[in-house]
Amino acid sequence: MNGRPAALIAPALVGLAVLGLWQSAVTLFEVPPWLVPGPVLVARTLVADAGLLLGALAVTLAIALAALACAVALGVALAFLFVQSRAIEASLLPYAVLLQVTPIVAIAPLIIIWVREPLPALVICATIVALFPMVSNTTLGLKSVDPGLLDLFRLHGATRWQVLTRLRVPSALPYFFAGLRVSSGLALIGAVVAEFVAGTGGTASGLAYQILMAGLQLNIPRLFAALVLITATGVALYGLTSLAAWLALRRWHESARG
Amino acid sequence: MIPAQADSQAPLVSLSGVSLTYPNGVRALAPASLSVRAGEFVSVIGPSGCGKSTLLRLAAGLLLPAEGAVARSPGCRPAFVFQSPTLMPWASVSRNVALPLELEKVPMAEVRKRVEEALHRVGLSEFGDALPRELSGGMQMRASIARALVTQPRLLLMDEPFGALDEITRARLDRELLRLWHARTLGVLFVTHSLYEAVFLSTRILVMSPRPGRIAAELVVDEPAPREEDFRVSPRFARLCAHLQDEMTRAGAE
Ligand SMILES: Nc1ncnc2c1ncn2[C@@H]1O[C@H](COP(=O)(O)OP(=O)(O)OP(=O)(O)O)[C@@H](O)[C@H]1O
Ligand SMILES: [Mg+2]
Repeated sequence: MNGRPAALIAPALVGLAVLGLWQSAVTLFEVPPWLVPGPVLVARTLVADAGLLLGALAVTLAIALAALACAVALGVALAFLFVQSRAIEASLLPYAVLLQVTPIVAIAPLIIIWVREPLPALVICATIVALFPMVSNTTLGLKSVDPGLLDLFRLHGATRWQVLTRLRVPSALPYFFAGLRVSSGLALIGAVVAEFVAGTGGTASGLAYQILMAGLQLNIPRLFAALVLITATGVALYGLTSLAAWLALRRWHESARG
Repeated sequence: MIPAQADSQAPLVSLSGVSLTYPNGVRALAPASLSVRAGEFVSVIGPSGCGKSTLLRLAAGLLLPAEGAVARSPGCRPAFVFQSPTLMPWASVSRNVALPLELEKVPMAEVRKRVEEALHRVGLSEFGDALPRELSGGMQMRASIARALVTQPRLLLMDEPFGALDEITRARLDRELLRLWHARTLGVLFVTHSLYEAVFLSTRILVMSPRPGRIAAELVVDEPAPREEDFRVSPRFARLCAHLQDEMTRAGAE
């Protein structure tokens, strides 16, 4: 985290300029709001529909956070398993990759059919999307141990457990947090995509559902407002995970030092 | 029980005819033999890549020899000082120094006392709470030495511990090391690139040939302890250095 104001001011100015251009273009060329609404209208819709949209956001966010928690728990557990033996890693990693490269839209319908309850089904879908960075980063981190320190531990008769908790886990923290940052965004994307796929078969209350309905009703300002909310949430998640990483690593790791 | 007298005569570690080839086919060590007794300071000197670190790792039991045997006296767990400080960057200096004791499940109160003592010995008493990155290179190396001393080992294995330090710090740490060695009648196996350091510190110097390394010559330094700085500028010192230089040239020329 650097406190340099330029790092905040410059992108803010760019953002304001773009919004200004957008608004003046929409006003100047009299673009109808059902095609492209101006930022002012979007903001007004955001306020007017706040109850509806924030309620929907809460549902989507809950799914994303639950999925992130599952991805972290599962990812870390798998990573622990992988560093215990090469054989386990070799036999399971291909399936983690398989899960990663399969488009979630292709398997979401299946999951929604198999898991009758819509909420758990959506959480499972989003977990699948968010899982891989946690597994691969944490595994890499647990393996990226100073070989000299590993020798030292062995020399003093450290048990496997001591090596894991006192050496591998601290060494893995920077990698873990890098994975967490990516996964938090993916969990949100996963939640939205899964909701889309589920359509009316889903919880029928999340943000994606609102976007879907707004699109069908040609309520484009609301669609934009929902989009703004999702984006802002994604940025906030990124900021929070970055903050967590900074708090955990600032004392000793280069990545957390400006 | 073996009587203490006999025990101190037996080597703390002895390598007999050990050789090693790394999995990638590099033959790092031709059959080499050496032993270190309590109260001995044995230096190993040789060109880069000749297998000195490999020899030390074999003595520590971190590598197993392809041929030959390594024997350590029973109950002798050597302490190792690596070529670089090798500290845990996330842990304070005290926690780093305490590590070997904590791994060996020594009681907390005892750990605290011994860590304090070890830090004091290397002059880092005030830096127990600092993180490794807050120390200079020389201080990090001293922390690493404190970590080796904290277990009160009878055998100390050191891999060019002062190789990356400036001359002044190096000379000071050399003296501190000698004082420790003398006070505790440690056995030390010490790898170095510097023939001056080898002559100043050692009771015995082993010269290694280029890779695959073997012990090409052995030189006894018959200078009583305690050795002070004036030894470094004495004619005896110069003669020993010249002799060692000859042996090293001969070992390298073969
Ligand atoms: N882990 C390894 N795998 C393969 N080869 C290795 C490994 N470690 C060392 N070697 C090779 O073994 C030889 C001896 O290495 P070693 O580290 O023992 O040399 P050294 O005498 O300590 O050198 P230096 O003085 O530069 O530290 C080198 O030629 C090196 O290439
Ligand atoms: Mg070496």
